[in-house]
Amino acid sequence: MIEVSGLVKTHGEGSTALRVLDGVELEVNAGEIVAVEGRSGSGKSTLLHLIGALDRADAGSIRLAGEHVDGRRERELSSLRRRLVGFVFQFFHLVSELSGEENVLLAARLPGAAPGAQQRARHLLAALELDGAEARLPHELSGGEQQRIAIARALVNDPPVVLADEPTGNLDPVSARIVLGMLRQIADEGRAVVIVTHEPEAMAAADRVLRLTDGRLR
Amino acid sequence: MFGILAAATLLGATLTVGYGLRTGFARAATRADLPDVVARFDDRSRADVDRRVRALPGVQSRAYRFEVTGTRLGAAGGRTRDGAIEVVEGGRRGYAVITGRDVRGSAPEVVVERGLASAWHLHVGDRLFVGRIGDLRVAGIAVEPDNVAYPLATAAHVYLARSFLDETFGRDRTPRANVALVWLRDGASTATFLQQARATGYGLTGLRFLTRDGIGVQLDDAAGIVVALLGAVSLVGLLAAAVLLAAGAQADVQRRMESIGIQRAIGLPAAAVAGGWALAGLAVALPAGTAGIAIGAGLAYGPSEGLLSALNELAPGRALLGPLAVGLAGLGALVAGCTGWPAWRAARRPPVALLRGAELTGTRRVRRTGVPPGPLSLGVRLALTRRLRALTTVAVLAVTGSVLILMLALGSLLAQLRDDPGTVGKHYDLIINLPADQAAAVARVPGVLAAAPRYAVEAVDSFSLGEPLRVIAYPGDHARFEEAALTAGRRVRRDGEAEVGQGLADALGLNVGGTLAIALPNGRETRSRVVGIVRALDHDGRVVYVRAAPLLRADPDLASSVAVVLERGADVGAVRAAIEARTGATAKSPAAASSRDRRFLGTLSALVRVVAGIIAIVCLYALVQALGILAREQRATISVLRATGAGPATVGRVLAGAALAVALPAVAGALALETAVLGPAVTRLAAGYAELSLAPGAGQSLLLVAGFVALALAASAWVAATTARESIVSGLRSQ
Repeated sequence: MIEVSGLVKTHGEGSTALRVLDGVELEVNAGEIVAVEGRSGSGKSTLLHLIGALDRADAGSIRLAGEHVDGRRERELSSLRRRLVGFVFQFFHLVSELSGEENVLLAARLPGAAPGAQQRARHLLAALELDGAEARLPHELSGGEQQRIAIARALVNDPPVVLADEPTGNLDPVSARIVLGMLRQIADEGRAVVIVTHEPEAMAAADRVLRLTDGRLR
Repeated sequence: MFGILAAATLLGATLTVGYGLRTGFARAATRADLPDVVARFDDRSRADVDRRVRALPGVQSRAYRFEVTGTRLGAAGGRTRDGAIEVVEGGRRGYAVITGRDVRGSAPEVVVERGLASAWHLHVGDRLFVGRIGDLRVAGIAVEPDNVAYPLATAAHVYLARSFLDETFGRDRTPRANVALVWLRDGASTATFLQQARATGYGLTGLRFLTRDGIGVQLDDAAGIVVALLGAVSLVGLLAAAVLLAAGAQADVQRRMESIGIQRAIGLPAAAVAGGWALAGLAVALPAGTAGIAIGAGLAYGPSEGLLSALNELAPGRALLGPLAVGLAGLGALVAGCTGWPAWRAARRPPVALLRGAELTGTRRVRRTGVPPGPLSLGVRLALTRRLRALTTVAVLAVTGSVLILMLALGSLLAQLRDDPGTVGKHYDLIINLPADQAAAVARVPGVLAAAPRYAVEAVDSFSLGEPLRVIAYPGDHARFEEAALTAGRRVRRDGEAEVGQGLADALGLNVGGTLAIALPNGRETRSRVVGIVRALDHDGRVVYVRAAPLLRADPDLASSVAVVLERGADVGAVRAAIEARTGATAKSPAAASSRDRRFLGTLSALVRVVAGIIAIVCLYALVQALGILAREQRATISVLRATGAGPATVGRVLAGAALAVALPAVAGALALETAVLGPAVTRLAAGYAELSLAPGAGQSLLLVAGFVALALAASAWVAATTARESIVSGLRSQ
């Protein structure tokens, strides 16, 4: 489902240039959770951003569900993100002016959203046991509730790939367990899930754990 | 940067036009050495006049002219029968030669006024035909700011040396004069001089005085409307710039609250932090402001010079640099204040609060509506998050829009005055040079509703022979054919009554109930009782409407034309062809303004267009700035949208929603403001010429709506394109 080959990314220029990814190779199959760990600044989030087409690699190739990510124009990348990728962020990134339900429905109302996205959004809100949370604004929700809303938003277009950047980094242990359970369920539904994490519990929930060192996955 | 550029452009244009108009008369009067008093009287021995003037108090110096009006002038560029020859002698002149040189000795040469030179494309060295004298070489071009310029003024002035006339026609042993130019000593009272002059003027007929101060006041009154209007527009632009700059700076400060906290934590004083922000603002403002002021001045200088030229005034030239420099300094101070103030407010907070990223101002959360938000409605919600800023932006756009629609209404009014005869009260559709007895035959042509003889004759007031006027007469009710707006009294109902134009009423001091004595070209006189005062643009309002019978009794040989009103829906071309076939004469459509008025109206239109264009730029700037601030504040939200698959077009729709959320209420506000306040105010100011409403029409209102929507979409596309170039990842990290 996810195929990464020879991925290179350098931050900065000239004497300050830092090659954070130096020929990363990665394959993630449908139904599999892969956890990527590493020290701060090792390039874990950068790898996730490149896989999710949020950033462009200097070299190498990425294929999601058989589609090439590299070498595409911004408009094509937007479409690809909408169809193939669901993101879950450490800081949730909910739109503070919208209620929980509206945050989920917003993704479903984007032009080009998958057919039935709005029904799926409502179904997800019910399935994620967010009773009452859907009507409240993000600052009125707990961290766990916000992350569940963010997961619902990530799934609303039924993407085959879910990328989670420190999904439990801002959660208490109980909420973290719920979120990890949800990610397991997402993978069991046939999606490829990549988690970037420092948390032992998150690594324990993964099928494989890879360490990013010196720009390579080991 | 763009905002400062737009505000500076507006400022530059306003300063150029405003300073030029406000100081134009004083500049021209000083350069021309305009006398303090100009006395006009019927021809008299110069020695006799000089004896009287010498005896008056406070006279520093004096000069005399002999003015001959109604002279034929001609050149390759045009001809007129309204030439005024000013025969000048030694001493001070009272006019400034701006190109070439003055007349001198007995050379066969002439100095022409700038308006004439401009209208006929005359240059130094060209030949000008002067009636009864012949072809003369143009030696110079002059400005004499005692009246507006030809062709706005009826008479075209040329200056000849008496020594040349003496050489050509023989020396006059008792030279005569009809104009005296008097310069008073410093501190001498013009009022005292005039009082004495009237007392000693016994025996001088047709004596009239014109004072330098009086001319200045008259011209300042006219210029004051334009200056006040431009001042208001400029103030709006600067207000918009200040509000949006402050909002932008506040958003920047909010984003960099932590770094300000660090600066404060390591001991930097609050004033130093604010000063750093102010200097950063200045670094952007000075180049952008300089460029904007230069662009604005460049755009407005041409139309402004045209207007000054029509008013017989001089453009400021390099003297404009001073006010522009002051404007730039003011703009710099405004920008420094607007950028430094939020930083000052932030820096005065405890460093620990700053390090936690405290909100500089509170935001209001918008409660859910129950409607799932699409990109447009999300944009609306985001725009309304900061209600005070949204309201301020709406207010700025509403005021700017109201001035914009006022400009559109003014432009439309000027075009109507120039092109639509109905605007100035002419209801007839065709005019034909035919004897009066042909009117009945014309009336029988299919498509003609009514036809009547129309008499128009140039005459003068019997009591004040220097006052020209145009008499317009119809056998019956003239209102069916021509109907200038009535401002006092009533319409003419019978022979011996007259409606008098406001211009003539002002010149002769006529009121309803007064008597007007008209001296016709054949020397006969006809008297009428004034029953009404009308606003007429034609002939500077020096017109009289009377019944034809008394006029024909005084001059049975008066030439006439036939005025024709067509049936509603009749084809003008077909009727014209039918009339021409039947009578053999050429039928013409009436003109609204005379050719000399058209030039002035054209200049005003150009000025209004420049101002309207600049205001549209201000609107665009306000929207771009407001959206730019929104995009900066909502950078993380926009990045989340992009991360979830929203393309540049979707981001554009979000921003369009935000732009429309402020633009559409602003349109409503602008229309209300223009209808209730600006339109009526400017109508009152400009009511001297014509009774016309400046209320926005349906077309103009639709144009404003469409314009604002277009501006909102352009602004959102611009900001969306800028946002699309930013990294999604850095946007996400900004939260």
